[in-house]
Amino acid sequence: MSVYGGDSWGREAQQRKRRVDDLFSSSSNASSSFKKLSSGKFVCLVCPHNPVLDSSLMLSVHNKGSRHVAAQAKQKENELRRQQELNKRIVLSSKTKIQPKTTSSNNHVKPLVEQTRTTILELQSTKFTLNAKDAASNDSHSSISSRERRQKELKFIAAGWKRDCHGKWFRDENVEFDSGEEDPNVCPL
Amino acid sequence: MFLYSLTLHRATGVVCASIGSFVGGKSQEIVVARGKSLDLLRPDESGKVVTLHSVEVFGAIRSLVPFRLTGSQKDYLAVGSDSGRLVILEYSKERNCFDKVHQETFGKSGCRRIVPGQFLAVDPKGRALMVAACEKQKLVYVLNRDATARLTISSPLEAHKSYTITYSITGVDCGFDNPIFAAIELDYSEADRDPTGQAAAEAQKHLTFYELDLGLNHVSRKWSEPIDNGANLLVSVPGGGDGPSGVLVCAENFIIYRNQDHPEVRAVIPRRTDLPEERGVLIVSAATHRQKSMFFFLLQTEYGDVFKVTLEHEGDRVSELKIKYFDTFPVTSAMCVLKAGYLFAASEFGNHALYQFRAIGDGDDVESSSANLMETEEGFQPVFFQPRGLRNLALIDQIESLMPVMDMRVMNLFDEETPQIFTLCGRGPRSSVRILRPGLAINEMAVSQLPGAASAVWTVKKNVNDEFDAYMVVSFQNATLVLSIGETVEEVSDSKFLDTTPSLAVALLGEDSLMQVHPNGIRHIREDGRVNEWRTPGKKTIVKVGSNQFQVVIALSGGELIYFDMDMMGQLMEADKNEMPGDVACLAFAPIPEGRRRSRFLAVGSYDNTIRILSLDPDDGMQVLSVQSVSSPPESLLFLEVKASTGGEDGADHPASLFLNAGLQNGVLFRTVVDMVTGQLSDTRSRFLGLRAPKLFSCMVRGRQAMLCLSSRPWLGYIHQGHFLLTPLSYETLEYAASFSSDQCAEGIVAVAKDQLRVFTIERLGETFNETAIPLRYTPRRFVVLPKRKHLAIIESDKGAFTAEEREALRKECMEANGVGENGNTGAMDNGGEDGEERDEPMTDEQFGYPKAESDKWVSCIRILDPKSRETTCLLELQDNEAAFSVCTVNFHDKDNHGMLLAVGTGKGLTFFPKRTVEAGFIHIYKFVDEGRSLELLHKTQVDDVPLALCQFQGRLLAGIGSVLRLYDLGKKKLLRKCENKLFPRTIVSIHTYRDRIYIGDIQESFHYCKYRRDENQLYIFADDTVPRWLTAAHHIDFDTMAGADKFGNIYFARLPQDTSDEIEEDPTGGRIKWEQGKLNGAPNKVEEIVQFHVGDVVSCLQKASLIPGGGDSIIFGTVMGSLGALLAFTSREDVDFFSHLEMHMRQEHPPLCGRDHMAFRSAFFPVKDVIDGDLCEQFPTLPLDMQRKIADELDRTPSEILKKLEDIRNKII
Repeated sequence: MSVYGGDSWGREAQQRKRRVDDLFSSSSNASSSFKKLSSGKFVCLVCPHNPVLDSSLMLSVHNKGSRHVAAQAKQKENELRRQQELNKRIVLSSKTKIQPKTTSSNNHVKPLVEQTRTTILELQSTKFTLNAKDAASNDSHSSISSRERRQKELKFIAAGWKRDCHGKWFRDENVEFDSGEEDPNVCPL
Repeated sequence: MFLYSLTLHRATGVVCASIGSFVGGKSQEIVVARGKSLDLLRPDESGKVVTLHSVEVFGAIRSLVPFRLTGSQKDYLAVGSDSGRLVILEYSKERNCFDKVHQETFGKSGCRRIVPGQFLAVDPKGRALMVAACEKQKLVYVLNRDATARLTISSPLEAHKSYTITYSITGVDCGFDNPIFAAIELDYSEADRDPTGQAAAEAQKHLTFYELDLGLNHVSRKWSEPIDNGANLLVSVPGGGDGPSGVLVCAENFIIYRNQDHPEVRAVIPRRTDLPEERGVLIVSAATHRQKSMFFFLLQTEYGDVFKVTLEHEGDRVSELKIKYFDTFPVTSAMCVLKAGYLFAASEFGNHALYQFRAIGDGDDVESSSANLMETEEGFQPVFFQPRGLRNLALIDQIESLMPVMDMRVMNLFDEETPQIFTLCGRGPRSSVRILRPGLAINEMAVSQLPGAASAVWTVKKNVNDEFDAYMVVSFQNATLVLSIGETVEEVSDSKFLDTTPSLAVALLGEDSLMQVHPNGIRHIREDGRVNEWRTPGKKTIVKVGSNQFQVVIALSGGELIYFDMDMMGQLMEADKNEMPGDVACLAFAPIPEGRRRSRFLAVGSYDNTIRILSLDPDDGMQVLSVQSVSSPPESLLFLEVKASTGGEDGADHPASLFLNAGLQNGVLFRTVVDMVTGQLSDTRSRFLGLRAPKLFSCMVRGRQAMLCLSSRPWLGYIHQGHFLLTPLSYETLEYAASFSSDQCAEGIVAVAKDQLRVFTIERLGETFNETAIPLRYTPRRFVVLPKRKHLAIIESDKGAFTAEEREALRKECMEANGVGENGNTGAMDNGGEDGEERDEPMTDEQFGYPKAESDKWVSCIRILDPKSRETTCLLELQDNEAAFSVCTVNFHDKDNHGMLLAVGTGKGLTFFPKRTVEAGFIHIYKFVDEGRSLELLHKTQVDDVPLALCQFQGRLLAGIGSVLRLYDLGKKKLLRKCENKLFPRTIVSIHTYRDRIYIGDIQESFHYCKYRRDENQLYIFADDTVPRWLTAAHHIDFDTMAGADKFGNIYFARLPQDTSDEIEEDPTGGRIKWEQGKLNGAPNKVEEIVQFHVGDVVSCLQKASLIPGGGDSIIFGTVMGSLGALLAFTSREDVDFFSHLEMHMRQEHPPLCGRDHMAFRSAFFPVKDVIDGDLCEQFPTLPLDMQRKIADELDRTPSEILKKLEDIRNKII
């Protein structure tokens, strides 16, 4: 039977497929990757440029395209990474769950924004040092000092100092220095 | 992002100007091309230049020439532009616009070498017209008229010659012989072929005459003769019985008379005594004045000196050419001599001027003549003169010009209601800081102290037919003061007004009787002196009054309205009464319809937030016709009638409509259309005017009714060129006002403010800004605002000038030399005393320009200016041929002992020709001393090129030095180089920073986005633009977006795509930015251009700012031609659709006047993207009514809705 003929099964099959696609698109499970606009068009939410497609057929064609596939893979990857990061933070935060309450009793007096900020700061500092904290005063001191150290090191780098392979500081030859400038080798971190 | 572009302040510079009688009859008008707009100006009786018409042509006008067909009464205007078309315009007086009579296409659009349009010349008898290109092409059109006396134009005749550069063309006046055009040409064909350069050195300019043979319909090169290689301008000499015909060739140092079969007559142009020997004298503009019996030329040199040139001739033989010093005024781009005895000088930079002739140069001044031309071994002997003050001319009016805007900031330094625009304008000695405030300028005529705080003021005539007001009545808390208006304004006691009570209203009633309404009654003063008094019933008092010539309505406390009507005997009779639900807040009568005696409607505003329209029909009994509820109680009401007109003085067609204006207590002006038959209200608009409830007063502006609204600042609502404009006045808060008319001041306004009475007039209608100027010393380059003290730090520099001390010394020397000369001559001179007087007045540099120094000499200064007191608190002149190019304030971290410092980038001995070289560049660091009023040099760091851009970044200083970006820290003796990136393509001209991102603008390679990594002490370029843009201005919009302007007149927005931006920000290891490979010979990422628009003028500064209090931000830009514009982002998709459709229809129905396609113009270099041209949309009201209706129908709106939309969007910007 001719595919181009009037009573071709091809067209029916095509229509059936389109119907299935339509049903598929209207079902909720896959709808996170696209959105149906009020105009009846579809917008792909996966691709970064959010292309607008006229029909579900075009959407399905688009979904098979290499760009979309690449974007999808990237999105999945991002999702995975985020999940990992989330898990890590949850683990870390569960370790230090009691800590914010014990360290700062005056937290409750402060406004909510301030509370959140201190909590986040503490969380981040724990992530930095990767130390779970039990003894409050001692460890917070060490974390602050390490942050200070980091700041100081950054300051020296920004001022044009570099480290050699022995960890010693030397002056970058392209950078100019003042006569009385601090030497990191003399006042070690 | 979609933007709406709107010009806020039309270009003020002038490219070319010409004079003609475009209106017809005896009057003369000046037509002025300001780049892309065409203005028609005329000096009025008082010598003020008024703009008759101004139209945006959406194309670059390059040449203008008026011409007149023989026997006609009216001039046509031929326009040469970048449209590749010749356009002939005719001014229509009835509709106040230019009509396109002919539009002949001859070439491609754009300013090209061989497409004609740069030069235009016309046969003085109006028979033919030549349009020429800079190179090769010349076309001649034959002009004629058909049977119905309409202008016809032939197909073009070619007079091309390849390898020929044209410098100037003109039409030679040869009576009714065949038309001849003269041109200065240079043939470069041999120079092009000769690689040794010898032919180029020997290239010779020729004066060529082209003859149009009207019989053969053919153009031929008739005559060609070599002339001076310094020739630059041709001026046609009257001929055909009025003079000898031929041309004046203006060349370097000489004026030469040339004609066919006539020996050349040559005279030297006198030189200033202080001019260095190697500098020549060139003529830059010329004007011809001809009367029946005589003619002369005024020629201006590049130094501003004007010479009068006369020819001694017998028949067509010229025996002598005389050049006489005339006067000196700033260099012009065009001069026009008017028959009325005025000289219009369109300045090249700075304000334009109108001078009046006091004499025509018959006094004894230095004169050079062809008769005593002396040739010596070193060439011709020069003639010297000393410039002096104006003697033949007197300045009578100035037209302000911002051209060129060098830098601009929008800020509210003065803590006013709206921000001010600070612009650096002008060039050389005529440069200035101009402070622009949105609003109309006013001219204060008188201020007089009153005995106490006045509450109201009225002016009344004695008779309805009087031209001027007779009395001015001022009401106080408990008294009324009556003043008579005459030669002076003085108190009178015989006016029969009750002066022991405050007044509520004073008005002329009927033909010649006066009425005073006071809280306890109405006092009607008849013309013969009889006084009728009506008293209020019971203990009620009158609270509000409304009146017109024959009707009075009063509101009593409690809400009772009593309506009086004037009967045939001139008696005021109670006609009707009505009880309102509550107290009445305000009353107003509708205007009296034509041919009737009484107004039909009364508007009543009540404290229950409503406005009611009552019928005054005797049968209706003050029935309520319609009610409008408003957001707040109305304080004041005024009907404003827009008269029906089909064009007229102000330009456009309007349907007649009646607007009811209400000032509400929350400061909003509420406007609604009143149906003139039924009294129904529709189509409401509102606008916030200020913090106080607007009080509305009717006044006259240019013979039309206008509305004065007094809120926390005064506003004026008037109709200008078809638009209803509501603009603030730049004046202080007023309490009460009335129109004022006396013989000194026909259309004034009298107002009370606290205990002062002020009389003023409103000037320069139609302008958006009024300006105050503070003069500067040299061309301003850039400025920064010192936020704490609210001072400005300005850098100025000029090339080829002397420093202030040198100039002072030179002047003294010159004075002494002159003084000796004068003393030697005083015996012989009769008017020596007069000369002495003239010498005493200082020669202002503004008028005479600076004395010229060697061209590689720079002068420069740094200035701290207090804009409020207009006082310069510190001025440091840079020494040693150094010039400042960049400035910024910087706060170095860890170096707190200094606080804010000023960094200035300078270059020493910069030359541009033959090659750009610089001896050294420096960065000066200045400390603020004396409470920030003065500067002290901390140290100065030498760098290898001129730092053209400086910016503070993370407590350090970023400097763009040539193609290198450096990060500097403050050291004890100099700046310390901490980090650099040498990968920029050309020259860094702008630096903006935001967080850790740095946005670099390169002089010819658009934007580069950089990042500073502290942990590596490295600067990385992570994104750049694919389009090579020659950046002239840049502004930071948001984290990913920069706005820029290029030197071809485009504005564009470059944005880093969101996903790229995210990727760069989420680069935890930092390895990617370091190792990513570049693309297209540049950075790894490319920015996208999201907005693209051709402004048509070089944009020199950009800023994101809001010009109205509480309004959204728009991009404000200033251009070299002195215009200011704005780009406003649309907030809704609907508006975008509406305006893009309107723009589309306007493009189709109203193509630009000079023949350039609108879309092609806005896309001249890059296709226009996401910008809608508001200037085109705003031409909608100038269309004929049926066209307006047609467009409105296609948009599914009414014309008034479209006008309202246009008004709304304009109000969002300013």
